[in-house]
Amino acid sequence: MQCGDFRVSYGSDERIFETRLPVVGVVVLLAALAFVPLFAGTYWLDVLNRIGIAIIGAIGLNILVGFTGQISIGHAAFLAVGAYATAILGSKAGLPFWLALPLAGVLTSLFGLVFGVPSLRLKGLYLAIATLAAHFITTYGIIHWESMTNGVLGFNVTPASVFGRPLDSDERVFYLIYALVIPAVLFAKNLFRTRVGRAFIAVRDRDVAASVIGVSLYRYKLLAFVISSFYAGVAGGLMAYHSRIVFPDAFTLLVAIDYLAMIIIGGMGSIIGSIYGAVFMTLLPEVLKLGATSLTGVYPNAFGLIASARDIVFGLAIIFFLMYEPMGLARIWERFRSYWKLWPYAY
Amino acid sequence: MRRITSSLVLSVTLVLLAIGLGAVPADAQTIKIGNLVDLTGPTSDQGKDIAQGRIDAVTYINEKGGVNGKKLELVSVEYGFQPPRAVAAYKKFVQDDKVLLVLGYGTPDTEALRPFITKDKVPYISGSYSGHLTDPKQTPYNFPGGIDYTSQIRIFLNWVKEGWKDTSRKPKVAFIFADNAYGRAPIEAGRAYAKEIGVDLVDEEVIPTTLTDATSQLLTMKTKDPDFAYINTNTQWVPVVLKDSLKLGLKTKYVVNNYGIDERTPGLAREAAEGVYGIQDVAYWGENVPGMKTLMDFHQKHHPNDTHASPYMRGWLWTLMAAEAIKRAGANPTGEGVKNALESLKEWDTWGITPPFTYTNEDHRPTNRARLVLIKDGKVTFVREVSVERDMKWIGK
Amino acid sequence: MTEHFVFLLQLVIAGVAVGAVYSLMALGFVLIYKASTVVNFGPGELVLFGAYVAWATILNMKLSLAVALPLTLVVAILLGLIIERGVLRPLIGEPIISVIMVTFGVASVVRGVLNMTWGSDTRPFPALFASEPFRIGPIPISPVHVWSFVTVVLLLAAFSLFFKFSLLGTAMRATADNQQVAQSLGVSVKGIFALSWCIATVVSALGGIILGSVRGGVDFSLADYGLKIFPVVILGGLDSVAGVLIGGVMIGVLENLSGGYLDPVFGGGVKEVAPFVVLVVILMIRPYGLFGRVDVERV
Repeated sequence: MQCGDFRVSYGSDERIFETRLPVVGVVVLLAALAFVPLFAGTYWLDVLNRIGIAIIGAIGLNILVGFTGQISIGHAAFLAVGAYATAILGSKAGLPFWLALPLAGVLTSLFGLVFGVPSLRLKGLYLAIATLAAHFITTYGIIHWESMTNGVLGFNVTPASVFGRPLDSDERVFYLIYALVIPAVLFAKNLFRTRVGRAFIAVRDRDVAASVIGVSLYRYKLLAFVISSFYAGVAGGLMAYHSRIVFPDAFTLLVAIDYLAMIIIGGMGSIIGSIYGAVFMTLLPEVLKLGATSLTGVYPNAFGLIASARDIVFGLAIIFFLMYEPMGLARIWERFRSYWKLWPYAY
Repeated sequence: MRRITSSLVLSVTLVLLAIGLGAVPADAQTIKIGNLVDLTGPTSDQGKDIAQGRIDAVTYINEKGGVNGKKLELVSVEYGFQPPRAVAAYKKFVQDDKVLLVLGYGTPDTEALRPFITKDKVPYISGSYSGHLTDPKQTPYNFPGGIDYTSQIRIFLNWVKEGWKDTSRKPKVAFIFADNAYGRAPIEAGRAYAKEIGVDLVDEEVIPTTLTDATSQLLTMKTKDPDFAYINTNTQWVPVVLKDSLKLGLKTKYVVNNYGIDERTPGLAREAAEGVYGIQDVAYWGENVPGMKTLMDFHQKHHPNDTHASPYMRGWLWTLMAAEAIKRAGANPTGEGVKNALESLKEWDTWGITPPFTYTNEDHRPTNRARLVLIKDGKVTFVREVSVERDMKWIGK
Repeated sequence: MTEHFVFLLQLVIAGVAVGAVYSLMALGFVLIYKASTVVNFGPGELVLFGAYVAWATILNMKLSLAVALPLTLVVAILLGLIIERGVLRPLIGEPIISVIMVTFGVASVVRGVLNMTWGSDTRPFPALFASEPFRIGPIPISPVHVWSFVTVVLLLAAFSLFFKFSLLGTAMRATADNQQVAQSLGVSVKGIFALSWCIATVVSALGGIILGSVRGGVDFSLADYGLKIFPVVILGGLDSVAGVLIGGVMIGVLENLSGGYLDPVFGGGVKEVAPFVVLVVILMIRPYGLFGRVDVERV
């Protein structure tokens, strides 16, 4: 525990921001976000939209894996369920987005409930493998339930519309996405100030001891799956509204691994870490692409090399973070902050 | 801590440098063409050749002065055959780079982008020859770069029917196709056409995207004993299917679609490739067609040490076609102008690489002619030209 | 009736042959787990590595088989050492999720390096075995499958004996059981880890060579086989060498049977998903597989 951490009331212990400055910062950031679509090019808006979706998805995964300690490689399956549910409810059943999206979230949480049941019997590695199986089974189901999902071809999603105006461009969808990101982050942050959140953390840290003091493992493990899947469902639904097509190839195992990388690089068990991780993983391929196009002028063959470089950079990033900073970017930022906060003192 | 901060600073600087270098000011004297390629995904063995072909063709065109005095510039994005990346790349092409035309690639992403392309009025020449892209009433801006898969499967069925001498029964065929948008593209039309001309479709086998071995599918097919089978799968699976078939002693004769068979197939499938037919859309590297000399000279000049196969030819061909259309669209080409220019191509000579192309505003099938090839003695040999009528009933299917 | 029986038998035999290859790949996984409780989520890439290096030495550099094959194995050993020392060692003691993710990272790097070095074209793989199938009654069997089955059985027998009777094998089992106690008794835990990874990479490389021969070509889709090993190791037990063979064969046969009988009913794809359904069922009923060691922990 660092020096200078001195609280005198429960209220101050639970506060999200310790001083006024970060609050001001966040407000400024949000205001700036609201104006971004007016200036930014569509390319960067698309990137920001994908970041927003990734934030919601990553927070969901972090709740399950980072905070409750249940390893899940099946996140892509949950995203897929959310995306297809939204697409089907929105396009085929004609529901407006403010019904389709939450319903899709609920459907995905039910789905998560079912796949959470193995977690009651399995731990660690076995659970990971079970979620891997869940992924393949779900993908199979999506591809072969052709009457609903149109199989491998996927289908187009009618854009969400607000007061009759369709959200069919990146600028418009931006507002929908970030309008959901903010409550998502707030809810998650608050969750871990409540009893439920602390129960999750207890399950992760010492599940046997937790059950001894009365934390029902069944209840909280399943609840973690339910909440995490709801987030994933919403993220998936936003993916559907953003790209306006759904097809199975968008939800491969690589997607699940990407999300796991997000929370590991960002910091497991940390909400702000999920955000960092989401930003990092979404920007990484873009940066590489920029590097590739600028190098192509010099080395025409660089193009092909950079393509495989993506895999290498991705792998190295994961390895690097796990070796040197297993608690991720969040921790790095914390250390940076505390260094400046306490300077010139060492601690 | 120091170590980490310094490496972070270093990486941030590098990133900024890369971004800075990438921000090259736009040149008003160039025409930008979007280029989607797969260099790391499941079709990368084709994708590499195609990408090289396109790049070379652009270099060649620019060396000859460009199009209407302006140079062509390829804006390339590698997307690993993952449609979401293709969608993101497309948005970038259209909105940031303001490309005039896109040289697309795979079936899943091309089909997925159809509504966007139509709305944005961006001509899209694709490596996908799916029949679903051929109806201008539905997809006016999609131009498949070769004879479409539906026409190919019709050619196959016609060929089976014509060569069938036994009057006691109808010929039996099977379809073997990949479990993805590309593999499934012509199957429905194929079923309907088979019924129409009186060929018995006795079996359909699906090859999933992670093929381990085809034994169970082929064993099932064997029980139905088809005389001929049409293979419409990704390139890498074809040798596996052929070898497993040989191993299991199947007597079925195979015909492979244009992407499934090329000069490398005999080397990969060895004895299993003997007697296998294919429908080809382009000439092979080194074949005696008018344009080959130009290509070979270029190759000699720029990278004599590489080897090329038919996908390379496709890359050249599509780029040449795009350049021709841009030229016809005049001094200040627009997307719509280029589309109209493409539709004005009548019997356009493709340097002999393919039969001449004709697009009209009612029919986006470039040609109805293809070459039937046969693998004999370890080499792909040309048998004869085959064709099928441009029946409007099959447009868009 | 005979036709149906032949069909069934052919499916089973094909399944056994394929299953043998799965067992070989799963063996690598089990070895690592048995010695160091590390879970390798990138077995496919190790197989890919072996196949590509073999191809490179045999066809690209045109070395003779007698030189190329051992060379491939030596390179595989080097890879194992690099992975263990460079990546896994710093992560001893970290939570399992980190270890799992790091193996994903390693797999990604291997994949990228292979792509960069040799590209991802499909390469023809040299025919190491005669391809003319010989027949048992009406059923054709390819020599490759027979050889792979024989190789797998021999290797598994060798490893079983190794683990049970040799000093080194016992040391490995001891390390898996309790690292600290083993270390206090003089076992070099680090050495054991390195050894287990090297054996795993070598075995995966062999699997890659066999797979390459079976399919006649190497391309990046070989890595997809990697995920199949999970049903195998769950069925057989994560730390059982004998279980690996039984599990592999059972999964192979199951795949082919469901492919042959269920695919036509469901329109394809069942073959791929069936092993995973089985996996879930097994996990719910008997998580430690048929032969795994039971870790009882009731809460």
